[in-house]
Amino acid sequence: MDWKNKLLLSLATGLLLFNNLTYAGIKTLNIYTYDSFVSEWGPGPQLEKAFEAQCQCDIKFVAAEDGVSILNRMRIEGKKSKADVLLGLDNGLMEETRRLGFVKTHELPLDHLKAELNWQDKQFMPFDYGYFAFIYDSRKISQPANSLSELINSDVQVIYQDPRTSTPGQGLMTWMKAVYGDKTAEQWQQLAGHTVTVTKGWWEAYSMFLEGGSDYVLSYTTSPAYHAVVEGHNHYKAALFSEGHVTQTEVAAIAHTSQQPELAREFIRFLTSEAAQKIIPVTNWMLPVIDQVELPDAFDQLIQPEQIGFSPAEIAQQRKQWLREWRRSASQ
Amino acid sequence: MKPGSLFLIFLAYGLVMGITGLAFYGLAGFSQGGTDTLITPDLQLLNDPYIIQILLFSIKQAGLSALLSVLLAIPLARAIYFLPRLAGRTLFLKLCLLSFVMPTLVLITGLVALSGRSGLLTPWLGEDWNLYGLQGILLAHIYLNMPLAVRVLCQQLNHIPDTSWRLAQQLKFNRWQLFYRVEWPAVQQTIWLLLAFIFVLCFNSFAVVLALGGGPASTTLEVAIYQALKYDFNLSEALTLAWLQFLIAGLIFLVMARMGKVRWLSADTHSQRWQPQWPVWQRHVYSAGYYLSWLVLLLPMIALLPSVIDARVEQISLAVMLDSTLYSLLLASGSAILATLLAWWLLLAVRHAVNVHKPGWRVLFQWLATHTLVAPAMVLSTGLYILLLPLIDLERWGITWLLLLNSVLLLPFVVSQIQPRLLQFDQQYHYLAQNLKLSPVQSVQVIWPFVRPVISSAFSLALLLALGDVAVFSIFGGSERMTLPWLIYSYAGSYRIAEAALVSLLLLALCAILVWLFERSYHRPVKGTAAAPRNSTSEYNKQET
Repeated sequence: MDWKNKLLLSLATGLLLFNNLTYAGIKTLNIYTYDSFVSEWGPGPQLEKAFEAQCQCDIKFVAAEDGVSILNRMRIEGKKSKADVLLGLDNGLMEETRRLGFVKTHELPLDHLKAELNWQDKQFMPFDYGYFAFIYDSRKISQPANSLSELINSDVQVIYQDPRTSTPGQGLMTWMKAVYGDKTAEQWQQLAGHTVTVTKGWWEAYSMFLEGGSDYVLSYTTSPAYHAVVEGHNHYKAALFSEGHVTQTEVAAIAHTSQQPELAREFIRFLTSEAAQKIIPVTNWMLPVIDQVELPDAFDQLIQPEQIGFSPAEIAQQRKQWLREWRRSASQ
Repeated sequence: MKPGSLFLIFLAYGLVMGITGLAFYGLAGFSQGGTDTLITPDLQLLNDPYIIQILLFSIKQAGLSALLSVLLAIPLARAIYFLPRLAGRTLFLKLCLLSFVMPTLVLITGLVALSGRSGLLTPWLGEDWNLYGLQGILLAHIYLNMPLAVRVLCQQLNHIPDTSWRLAQQLKFNRWQLFYRVEWPAVQQTIWLLLAFIFVLCFNSFAVVLALGGGPASTTLEVAIYQALKYDFNLSEALTLAWLQFLIAGLIFLVMARMGKVRWLSADTHSQRWQPQWPVWQRHVYSAGYYLSWLVLLLPMIALLPSVIDARVEQISLAVMLDSTLYSLLLASGSAILATLLAWWLLLAVRHAVNVHKPGWRVLFQWLATHTLVAPAMVLSTGLYILLLPLIDLERWGITWLLLLNSVLLLPFVVSQIQPRLLQFDQQYHYLAQNLKLSPVQSVQVIWPFVRPVISSAFSLALLLALGDVAVFSIFGGSERMTLPWLIYSYAGSYRIAEAALVSLLLLALCAILVWLFERSYHRPVKGTAAAPRNSTSEYNKQET
């Protein structure tokens, strides 16, 4: 036991020393983002390398658990925050972040962005987006649902995420509201009749689906691209719904606390550059926000849904009430 | 009491209570608009039918989980105690430990692979079978907690002295009387404690409920706190719910823990056990139940294997895996060592209260030492985070707080493991030790051989539980290095489900190895125990011969 403890202790000391080494002389850009963005196989490491090659700076990612944790961290840190860039909030969180005054205007042109995004925001810059969609296994289902109402009024088994704890879940809630308006409650009830389970987050649902836990799972239209590009499997497909699909747009912004807004602005400009937009889709598995990005063929095979939904302001305003409706009708 | 011990006691209680106090203060004292008033709980919530529904469901599922776990554990523990010829009894107890410490996310994957919609067993479970809902929650909770109950009950049964059985035989007790007069008194108090313990664990359950609950109807208070804290950043709602959970879980735990009178049985665990013979049919039924439970406990682990086959091993960096394993072990041992030390110091006060016959103080000290069992973990970690983030550099000091917080959360387990043995020691040798006027070093030398086995098993339990931690790491862990559970999350979070399953299996294997190592050291004879109390030496001798 003793020598093992000693070994562990010396290891620990070594690590601490290593962690304390700091880079001297060049500017550090603190980027608050979420975990999977900076994981080994996420976009973080590649973007860091590409940007550092052009900026003479050092990027330091500070990872929170997810998008909403970035916002909460800003709330807690207040004016003492070290953040320069907030990276990975989404359209559901934009209004709250703006209201709290955590971001500066980016003063960057927006005309290079895809027209379908119709992006006008002065503070937030989109860096990827995706349509929510229900994914199925085409080896098991030959006639997928063609609309949301077909899915809801069938008896196929569905797994989705809890709108209280996950962004796809919140996306479905918006989707339901956009399609059904005042009649959403009945539809939730109908769906609950053939819902296998509602999970805390995206991956719990998705892994249950992959293990055969359901016929459909709520995810993104881009999910099949992952299976095609990384695994070479083509049987996972997204169902195209005639009512249209809602989107999730991930955004970046300059933090109000940033002491080097110029550098932060440079990074945000870089995010929508061709170089970065080529990296993001195949690491974060979302769609690029500019046209003519060279991507693997699998991206051409993805479904092209029509976009419906609400503005960030509308979502922020009505979220609470929608949640109450969901939990009342889905728990019966 | 010596000033040195007094200081350590103050330090330990200060730390444990300080962390909870600071966490609640962190939530209550946080001001968003620059006002200095404390956030008060929002009592309106108690009128909300949704909150009432959550509350009732939390109580219902926790109550059922506790009851079923213990009811199933009793016959199993009796089988192991009364039928020495059963194959693999010690191994089974190890398996029990492994089940109890199994990280919930690994268990959930296993259960889904086993009895989810296209699970391996599902075709035989009948048309109406559905894993999700109350039944799924109960299944997972029983899987996690029943093995714990088996272990504890076995331990307790083993403490029944030979003399009791002989006496019972002379009195010609029938089987019912044997059970009621000999077995029941030995386990009664433990059963209440177990019920309370499992109830509280399940009352605070989070991941299992969310994954297997099936929808918003199955929501626990912990889930509601998470939601209030994280998605709404509604601190006053979170505080109200936290107090509610704290009060209910705390009260129930206190009441149930007080139910059974403390009755210390003879400490002797003899090598030659004399027990009544069971009729043949009973032996067969119990053996069948025992072998069936082997299967049941192993199945969710085996069910992980098929999904691993898809893993693209070439995509997994061995360096990352090794690094995460080492880092996990490092952090977990740190927390476990700290937890064991803290438990020892905290128990000094409990022991003193017992020795001077102050039962009220004993309950108070005991409750304080283990109160993190009932305090919502979510509130402790988030409260501390809110308090500390603006004050210190968490990138740098996060790990220190992670160790502290984890060790405090482990305390209930460690304390409950060590406490009975220490009290037993005091009961037998306290006066003698006092009369001998032993120096501090000498008294440690005397007590050490007596408690070494329980310390070792408490430490290993703490280590194993700490290995599975995700909740605290998600808040205080840095982003540079990952622990194994966190690595599982990262893989699963980026579509790499098969790789996640592989790492889950690795984590499980690591736990299994540790269980094997520690259980081995538990049974290893100790050198130089000649001067040790008779009981412990006889226990070791048993193992040697």
